[in-house]
Formats: sequence, C-alpha cells, structure tokens
Amino acid sequence: MKYWRLVLTPLFLVACLPCALQAKQFAIVADKANATSNLTASELIKIFTAHTRTWGDGKHITVVLRDPSSGDMQLVLRKVLNMTAEQAHAFVLAHREAIMLADSDDAVLRFVSTSPGAIGVVDLYSLTQDVNVVKIDGKLPVEQGYLLRGN
Amino acid sequence: MNWKTMIHRVFASLAGAGLLIGMAAAAQQTAPSQTNPLTAVLPLTTKVPEAKRLVEEALILYLDRVEQEQSIGILRKAVQVDPDFAMGHEFLAQISLDSAEQVGEQEKAFAARSHATSSEQLVIEWYQDAAEHKLIPAITKMNDVLNQYPHDKWVVWMATWWLQNQAQYERSLAVYERSGITDSPGLINNMGYNYASVRQFDKAFAMMDKYVAAMPNDSNPQDSYAEILRLAGRFNQSIEHYRTSLVINPEFYSSQFGLADTYSLMGDQVRARREYEIGFQKFTLPELQQILWKTREAATYVREGDYEGAQHAFQAIADYSHSRQNSQAEADTYRQMAMCEQNPKQAMVYLSNAEAATQDGKNALQIAISQELAQILRARVELALKMGNKDLANSTLARLEKMSESSDDKLIESAYYGAAGAALFAQHKYDQAISHLEEDTSNPLSLKLLAAAYQKIGYSAGAKRTTETVTNLNDPTLEQALVVPAFRKCSEGASCAGNAKSAALKR
Repeated sequence: MKYWRLVLTPLFLVACLPCALQAKQFAIVADKANATSNLTASELIKIFTAHTRTWGDGKHITVVLRDPSSGDMQLVLRKVLNMTAEQAHAFVLAHREAIMLADSDDAVLRFVSTSPGAIGVVDLYSLTQDVNVVKIDGKLPVEQGYLLRGN
Repeated sequence: MNWKTMIHRVFASLAGAGLLIGMAAAAQQTAPSQTNPLTAVLPLTTKVPEAKRLVEEALILYLDRVEQEQSIGILRKAVQVDPDFAMGHEFLAQISLDSAEQVGEQEKAFAARSHATSSEQLVIEWYQDAAEHKLIPAITKMNDVLNQYPHDKWVVWMATWWLQNQAQYERSLAVYERSGITDSPGLINNMGYNYASVRQFDKAFAMMDKYVAAMPNDSNPQDSYAEILRLAGRFNQSIEHYRTSLVINPEFYSSQFGLADTYSLMGDQVRARREYEIGFQKFTLPELQQILWKTREAATYVREGDYEGAQHAFQAIADYSHSRQNSQAEADTYRQMAMCEQNPKQAMVYLSNAEAATQDGKNALQIAISQELAQILRARVELALKMGNKDLANSTLARLEKMSESSDDKLIESAYYGAAGAALFAQHKYDQAISHLEEDTSNPLSLKLLAAAYQKIGYSAGAKRTTETVTNLNDPTLEQALVVPAFRKCSEGASCAGNAKSAALKR
C-alpha cells in the first residue's frame, strides 16, 4: 500500500495511473546575466540550428544540449531541430564552435550558469536558481500551449 | 493590564530573545558555504528539545517503520509543545491524512518560518510555492535544498515524495539513486512504486524483495508487493502476496480489498464481489475508503457488461454519499454513472445531477469541488461529441477552458486537455489533438484516442508505444474498465471499429 496522502484529493477522480507515457516539459535556460527573457519559436529554432550566432548585445551564443540519442531529447529534436538523432549528431559535429553536448541536466545547468551567452535545454524538474528561464512565445513551461511540452 | 498578562509578556519576550540566539547559531551551522553535502543534515529548529525529539521519533516511525497514523499523532504533539516549530508543522502538513489539516499546517509552517534557519525556510517556501501552484519557483527551491542535502534522509524523502506526486517518477528515482540511502523501508516502498510507474518491473520487484526482508512481520510490504505484481499483470502472484499479508495481519483491510480488485482485473467478477463483501462485513472503514471500494465493486458490473447492475450499484453509492452530505463523492458517482450509461439522454441527466451536487459543495474543499466539476464538464464534452451535439460540446469546452486558464490546477488542466483533444480528434485535426491528448496520459480515454491519432498521422512508433501502454494498464478504475478490456480485444484482432487495432498490429 502506498502512503495514503496520494489518494486523498483525487480519490474519486480519475486515478493517477502509472504510465510510462508521462508528458515531458523542457525549459530553455540562459545565464543570469542574459537580458533575454523571451524568444519566439522561430528565434529559438534559428539559435538551435546555428543560424543566429550572437545575442542582441553582441555576445557569442553557445548552445548546450543533452545527447540527441537520449530518450529525453526526442521532443526537442522533433519540435525544435526537426532532425533525427543521427542527423542531430552530425549537425553538432559540424557546428562544434556553436553547439556543445552535455551528459546530464546538471552539466547543462553548470555550463550555462558559468558561461555568459550560453543557452541550454533541461527538464523542467531539474531547474535551479542559478539560471534564468527563457519564455518561448511569451509562455513558460508550465503554461498551456508551451512549445516544449509533450512526449 | 492584570498581573497574568504582564507575566505572560515577560516570558514571551525572554523566549523571543532565546529563540533569536538559537536561530543565529543554527543559521551559522547550516550556511551552505560551510556544509559538506556528503554529510550535511537539514536542521530542525525549535526552542523546545522535547518537540525536536518528538519530530525525530515521528519521522523514524513514518519512514523506517511505515507507521503513518502513529507518526501523525506524534507530530501533532510536537507542534503543541512548540507551536513555533516551523518544520514540525511542515512535516505534519505533508504526512497528514486530513486535507483540512494539510492546508492549515502548511499555513502555520509558512507563518512560523522566521523561527527557522534559511535551509528550513527554503523547504517551507518550496511547499508554499507548490501549494500556490507556482511550480517553477517550487522546483528551483526543491533542487537548491537537494543540492545542499543530497544524502539527508528526510530531504530525500520530501523530494522523492513530492516528485512522485507530480508524476515525475524518473526524476524521483534519480534523486533516490544519487542519495545512496538503501536502508529506509519507507523510501524503498515508494521507489518500488516509482519503478513500477515507469514499468521497470525488475527493479520494482527487487525493491519489494528488500522491503519484505526489512519488515518480514509486517503486512504492508506484502500488500505493496501484491499491488506492484498486479500492475505488472502477474495476478496469481499478486493474490498470493495479498493472502500472505492477511495471514500476517488479518485486520489489514487494504489487502482484503486488494484481493477483490485483483480478481476483478483477472475477469472473475463474481469472486471479486464476494471478496469486496467479505471486506465490507469484516471491517469498519473510514467513509471515503468505504465509498472508494464500493465504487470499485460497482465497476465489476461494467467489466462483465451488466450496465443495469452497475447503475443499480452506483445509485446506492450516490444515495449513501448524499445521506452523508458528501457532495464530492455524490457528484463523482453520478459522473461515473453517466460514463457507463448506454442511453445518452439519461447520461446527460446523471451529469446534471453530478453538477448539482458540486453546487451543494457540502463537506468538501473548494479545490476538490472544482476538480470534480472539471471532470464532469469533460464527461459532458465527450458525451456531446458522441451525440453529435457540436454546440453543447463547444460551449462546455469553452467553460472548461476558462476554468483551466484561471485555476492552474493539474487535474483541472488535464481534464481540459483530454476534452479538447477529444473534440479535435472528432474534427479530424489529429496533430492538434495529439498535442492536447499528450497532456492527459494518465487517462485511458485519452490514451486510446492518442494511439489512434498517432496512427492517423503515420507516427507508428508513437502508436505502438501508446497501444502497449493502454493494453498493459491494470488499475481497477472505471476508466480502465470502460477502455482497456475492449482495447485489448481490439488489439488482439477481434472485430472493432477503432483505429487502435491497426496501430497495435503495425509493429
């Protein structure tokens, strides 16, 4: 038996069924000094596909991603890069000066928080106070219609 | 001012001075820059040593001996001994079984936080943000606490439990695995459920083996093992563990009803009802649990296609809930009656009854009533779509959307996404339907549509994965009863009208 608190409020509602298909929510993060608080989806895509290489203040942009072949990154590949994992790997190799890979969300956060101009993507639930969350099309990851939600 | 008041004020000011000194010392001790995360322990600040001892005893009872009710009683004593004990209130808020107490104790913890150290304040603010649906600040505070105390048992428990309640099973498991804590039965129990939730059953069973070994003379490990085996579809083994649990403690009623639930999922509804009845006759249950298992019993009729029997059983629950002035239970029962009613007009009547009960709102928190209303509106949208009544579907959906936008509640939001996904699916707007249905993957009704929508757009991998998820759902709810058995037959190749069959076969 689980501890009972879980079943109190939603006792009579649809049970929270264990489900491997839980929706993912990703946050776009930038270093604390970055003044950009919002990007449109097309601006984000241009940054992540290395078409836009500098911020408005002239700072060089470094994109930091998790390994494209990790299951977590499928949504980002589908909605931002529009690439398969193999294509994304090749793309990163061809753009080493602009895109980096990290092996965990913690590594993404460490890099972004200490690298002016860096931008990364992490699971919403990995967020710390060391980075800024950048809205997409005016929306935060918890809001309806946010780009990087789904499975 | 009389002399009693004056003495009281003098004592109050002395206590205040003592508290300030204590707080300064504690704050110094726990400043993040001075702590080693490998050994750091979250402080528990109180001016009364007895209160601290009681909280520590309560937490050990809760986490190491899985004695929730005793633990709650001791926490109540602790906060009586020191009403300013902020973390005492916070633990009680998290562990309490009474929703009003949960809310009240959270308020007290927040009000008393100035008596605590900065680390304790961070914990309390994390839960306060969560209670106010400020999810991003809640997450960042949780992670900051975790980064300071990654190996502290209580911090690990708080984080894993909160994440589990947020359906963030993988993240919860990552926190647990990083903690290196392997000797806490309560954590082992929770992690077993987390592994099961991400369908890593080998690891879930390994956790349950450890849990049973740690507490061989307790029923709960056997009961948990049985539930996880049932989730995995291993029904016969599940029944063995439920029986073992009842041998250890014949009064462990959860296992009696677990047996009944399992027989129902196995397809033996007569045996299931017999086991439910044994439970109802043998045990005096808290009201909510009585209603819960009566509802499960009613669902047995749905599983055998006896809708008249189901309505009869549900009506008895609705009448009982009404007599007990339990508006939420009454509303939810009418909603379920609507879902399994074959006559759409009669189903609409049941939904009206359900909504009327929410308007009564007796003996229920406002948030629970709002969540229930969202489920009722969702059911009305689905019924209107089935009846081809677009105007009703659209107007109800608009009402639900408005609720969802203003509430920031996960259950209400899911209800909206499920209803909107169903409406978009009916309009053949599959891409848009998918983005909505993906936000409601705890509900079999949405999962069924999601599998079909993936298939419609040619996303075979998604269709296959979703089909597998639906066919493997073994939860004794009405939604499961309404969707899964038929879906399985369909996936196995029996004649059916849905699209999931081809999704399932295209592997």
